[in-house]
Amino acid sequence: MSGLACIGEPISWLRLEQFATTRDPAIASHVAQCPACKHCLEEITADLVALPPLVGPEARPARTWWKWAVPAFAMAAAALALIVVIRPRGEDSAREDVVVVKGVGEVVLGVVRERGGVIRQDVRSFAPGDRWKVVVTCPPAASASVEVAVTEAGAAAADHPLMPATIACGNRIVIPGAFFLTGTNKNRVCATVTSPGGDRGTACLTIAPE
Amino acid sequence: MDAASDPQAAYRAYGPALVRKAERILRSREDATDVVHALFVDLIPKWNRDVDLPYLYRAITNRCLNVVRDRGTRARLLERESASAAPIGRVRLEDQVVGVGLIAALAERLDEGHLQVLVCRFVDDMTQEEIALHLKLSRKTIGKRLDRIRDEVISLRGQETAS
Repeated sequence: MSGLACIGEPISWLRLEQFATTRDPAIASHVAQCPACKHCLEEITADLVALPPLVGPEARPARTWWKWAVPAFAMAAAALALIVVIRPRGEDSAREDVVVVKGVGEVVLGVVRERGGVIRQDVRSFAPGDRWKVVVTCPPAASASVEVAVTEAGAAAADHPLMPATIACGNRIVIPGAFFLTGTNKNRVCATVTSPGGDRGTACLTIAPE
Repeated sequence: MDAASDPQAAYRAYGPALVRKAERILRSREDATDVVHALFVDLIPKWNRDVDLPYLYRAITNRCLNVVRDRGTRARLLERESASAAPIGRVRLEDQVVGVGLIAALAERLDEGHLQVLVCRFVDDMTQEEIALHLKLSRKTIGKRLDRIRDEVISLRGQETAS
């Protein structure tokens, strides 16, 4: 069908999509005369798209400020007290899921769990059948290659369930592919990030069985 | 209930149009569906009633450009593109239907703003006036960006011929 030409200025796909609800007479008139645009409209009307169910985090209703501010201040004060009193000297406060790589910048490792169509970005526990994806956040304009290794506690060697990928940095960039976790032990998911200049660093997180 | 009232309603109303649009860029229905689904999952927590089809069209363009820029995914898409049927291509760029290969090559040379115009004109088949309205830019800016896009395609062809 790549040989069909419009008789004038083609009606954009966006306007053709909107035509279904607006029934713009100008578009109707053009489509009646133009085989190319008519073909495109027929493609739209004949197309059946099977969309996967949309299940995601619930939108939370707005709360008055004091409802969150009072507990937040209380928790912040308690946390501060804990840090001052309990924190041993010399303890490394660096997050293991964050690594700074020369030539890339700060890289934050994350995972996304899909369980029965429900997608969660804030969990670190698995059950059989959960599908996991790895996401990486790094400063835009940088690029990096990412290699993911998953090591089950007690295992001698790591698995590499995802193909190494080169990514253009951004917010929560998804590494192509997904994996499942089995067994009853904790799993460490590590991403080794390599800059175009060859500098590298590794960020890790742990996913525990439920 | 109108389409923008909640994410589920908008997903049902606009999802198919967005999948078709993403598929025109990525030439893969499976990847297109993934991109649209991921967009709505991300939009759920920050949903507002101003979301309409043109807004989602812009968002899908950006998401698809990110997919094409990813070198790993790009290789897989290019493999599939060669096996997929050529689209109708009512608006051509230097007599070429714009696909994953050309977008990927231009992504190495052009910034986000130029790539958005590229997709609006040569994938979505919008007129320059429509693009200006869609991207909230002046008609003159759109014209300049289209000129630059054509220059880059000519330069790419020159390099291909030389090699």
